[in-house]
Amino acid sequence: MRIEFTGDGIHLPDLDLWLDPRSECRRAWISHAHRDHAGAVHQEVFGTAETLEFYRLRHEGALENSTLHAVPYGQSWELAGARLTAYPAAHILGAAQLLVEWRGERLLYTGDIKLRSPLCGRSTEIVRADRLIIESTFGLPVFHFLDREPARDRIVSFARQCLEEDRVPVFVGHELGRGQEIAHVLGQAGVPFQAHPAIAQHLPAYAAAGFPAPGWSLYEGDVPSGAALILPPRLRPALTTGNRRVRVAYVSGWAALDNARARTGAEELIPYSDHADFEELMALVKAVGAEEVDVVHGYAEAFARILTLRGWLARAPQRARLEQRNG
Amino acid sequence: MDELAAIAERVASRNSRLEKIRCVAEYLRSLSDEDLRRALRFLSGRPFSPGDARRLAVGHVSLREAVIAAGGWDPETVRLCIRQVGDIGEAIGLLLHGKTENRPLSLAQAERLYEELARTRRSGQKEDLLRECFLRYRPLTLKYFVKVITGDLRIGLQERMLEEAVAAASGASPALVRQAVHRTGDLAETALAARRGTLEQICPHLFRPLDFMLARPIASAAEVPDPGNWLIEDKYDGIRAQAHVADGRAALFSRGFAEVTAAFPELAAALERMPGSAILDGEIVAWREGRTLPFSALQQRLARKEVPLFLPLEAPAAFIAYDLLLRDGRELLDEPIEARRTELERLLLAAGEPLLVAPQCTAADRDELERLFDQARARGNEGLVLKRRGSRYEAGRRGGAWLKWKRPLATLDVVITAAEQGHGKRAGVLSDYTFAVRAGDRFVNVGKAYSGLTDEEIRELTGRLRELAVARAGPVLLVRPEIVLEVAFNGVQKSTRHQSGFALRFPRIVRWRRDKRPEQIDDLDRVREIYQNQAPASGC
Repeated sequence: MRIEFTGDGIHLPDLDLWLDPRSECRRAWISHAHRDHAGAVHQEVFGTAETLEFYRLRHEGALENSTLHAVPYGQSWELAGARLTAYPAAHILGAAQLLVEWRGERLLYTGDIKLRSPLCGRSTEIVRADRLIIESTFGLPVFHFLDREPARDRIVSFARQCLEEDRVPVFVGHELGRGQEIAHVLGQAGVPFQAHPAIAQHLPAYAAAGFPAPGWSLYEGDVPSGAALILPPRLRPALTTGNRRVRVAYVSGWAALDNARARTGAEELIPYSDHADFEELMALVKAVGAEEVDVVHGYAEAFARILTLRGWLARAPQRARLEQRNG
Repeated sequence: MDELAAIAERVASRNSRLEKIRCVAEYLRSLSDEDLRRALRFLSGRPFSPGDARRLAVGHVSLREAVIAAGGWDPETVRLCIRQVGDIGEAIGLLLHGKTENRPLSLAQAERLYEELARTRRSGQKEDLLRECFLRYRPLTLKYFVKVITGDLRIGLQERMLEEAVAAASGASPALVRQAVHRTGDLAETALAARRGTLEQICPHLFRPLDFMLARPIASAAEVPDPGNWLIEDKYDGIRAQAHVADGRAALFSRGFAEVTAAFPELAAALERMPGSAILDGEIVAWREGRTLPFSALQQRLARKEVPLFLPLEAPAAFIAYDLLLRDGRELLDEPIEARRTELERLLLAAGEPLLVAPQCTAADRDELERLFDQARARGNEGLVLKRRGSRYEAGRRGGAWLKWKRPLATLDVVITAAEQGHGKRAGVLSDYTFAVRAGDRFVNVGKAYSGLTDEEIRELTGRLRELAVARAGPVLLVRPEIVLEVAFNGVQKSTRHQSGFALRFPRIVRWRRDKRPEQIDDLDRVREIYQNQAPASGC
């Protein structure tokens, strides 16, 4: 099966199928609904029902000419002589890996993924394949993340400690995924909180999937008293700079490094991510059993080199391609 | 050491200065005398006491080699990781995650390891020792074990806050603790005295540098109150240094408390011949045929590790003494300047080159001050230092009892906060620097300069800056403020571009101040002062 790595995404020409393309195309697989994967409108879109729901919200009013195919996990469908199957990927709600079987070859595209069980959503299902395309957002061996239980404990104890000191705990997390996970944890622990509208808009979808966040109210611009606050990263500085009542916790894979404090102004760093850390990536590559591995996103070259040194046939195709073009 | 690492993490996760201090004070209170001494050294980023001549001589290369060997990583991965993390201690801790035996490490054991590292001569042996450590202890402990080696914990705990924690832990007054630290230059010893209630008796020690008395900068004779009330010396373009001498042993310390004895063997040899014991304050200058040469003639010596005594030296050095702080066991700090001067002259009368006493004179009025200033400049010196009659030696203070009057527009000591690659032949190196002055605990940018440094210095600086990188913003590398530069400029103007509100006009780098730490650079008040004092039409 031919695979083309381009600046616009990954193309499977034998099926005329694009994987998470960045610009408009005829037929696309959307692994999950984050902007860098689902930012463009296409004629035909495949994805899980949850992903397509977020996708519709993102592209409201722009999808009249698009056909959306919701595919359930584990049920295969045929496309241009290939058999395709979506498998759960722990990331955000609805995230999926795609297995493509074509003429006896098994290609697995992970999309964004982690191996640890998430606070919300499904755990990753291990799928065996001959060829693997894997993400490496955190593909350097300095990234070590928390399991969900210690992450939950850190979030709750930080919130309670702040409230006891009469301070406002502010959690900074991505507006789709991390924000709802923090909300779910606080809600389950009985900590009252406000959520920014960008985060709150996705809370019903998470509740419907079995991850409710009871007791939340909408953040309307004033720092609350006696309650926590969940904000998307870009809004944090305006609110909290110079406000001594506020303490900020940054919940992210980047919080694994101390320099996150200087970058974000957060005091508390909680290294919990919806991506795999280095060991998880290694474990995932081993479990899939593919001999040939293409690494995309983040520290692709570094991770591909480590795999190569350990005996895999590994490449970071997009970066290599980019350099050729520049050269 | 395990506990110290945990405390350091907690301190790092608190923005509030008071909370940091409270956290450290509580920890200090729980320690035995011996551990208190060790913990304070480690918390201030030092393996040994400030006056201890021992050096670990463990560089980034050795640390890197050791983690490569211990963790089984390839060099390129390790290099990338250090760059991404921005701190080699933190990177090493993270790279060893899950690879160590997680044995406990006490403060006493850590001290023994540092002693062993200092004792070991060959870098290969140091690397072997480090590799063994890296496999044995907890990753978080190793993070701080290495940070002590590199000299900075980076947890937002300034020396001043440590002093306050010492005061809080013992119930002593912060002012008294601070004064004692100035006199001994040794926080650990001060903390022990504070604990025993003997702070008042604390006095300077030979071979432990104490803080220098500092001069307040002025820009013209008009700023000198009561011109007749000052003892006047030339301001030399050299390295401020303290000479400690006792029984045939001598040591020279520069302002960063770095021992620079090895760089000036001819001065050490002359000092060793002095009778009795003494602590002298003065300036190391390049000296030929009875006059000073530009400081740059000495700069190369500081960069070199050891200077052979009997090789022809391109620039002979002299030590120009101007104060005497201790003589044969007697502390002189509280004696008036005239009495200290008399003793100093008596001591050095017989010495001769390369040990000199700074000539001193007085002026009747401002006109005479102007004349003296011009004469000092004509002798190749920077200007004048004025010392108030009857003043004590106030270690560590810039209280106004000493004034320094340099060129009409003085230079500023600044710290690099960001760097960019240059163009053309400087494309591969970081040669454009954004720099800042102090504003309280923060640094605020005041300008950007293209390098006036030599290619060799730029190359070395590029390496250092890459290690100090904390983030990247497009082509700009943001670095931790560590590297001190002296910059000259044509004026100060208001600016909205920098958060300081000021920008230097036509800044250029005079030199890399290896002898200065970022706490010692000029502050925003100084910039404001220059702005206010400059003549309105002082264009270029």
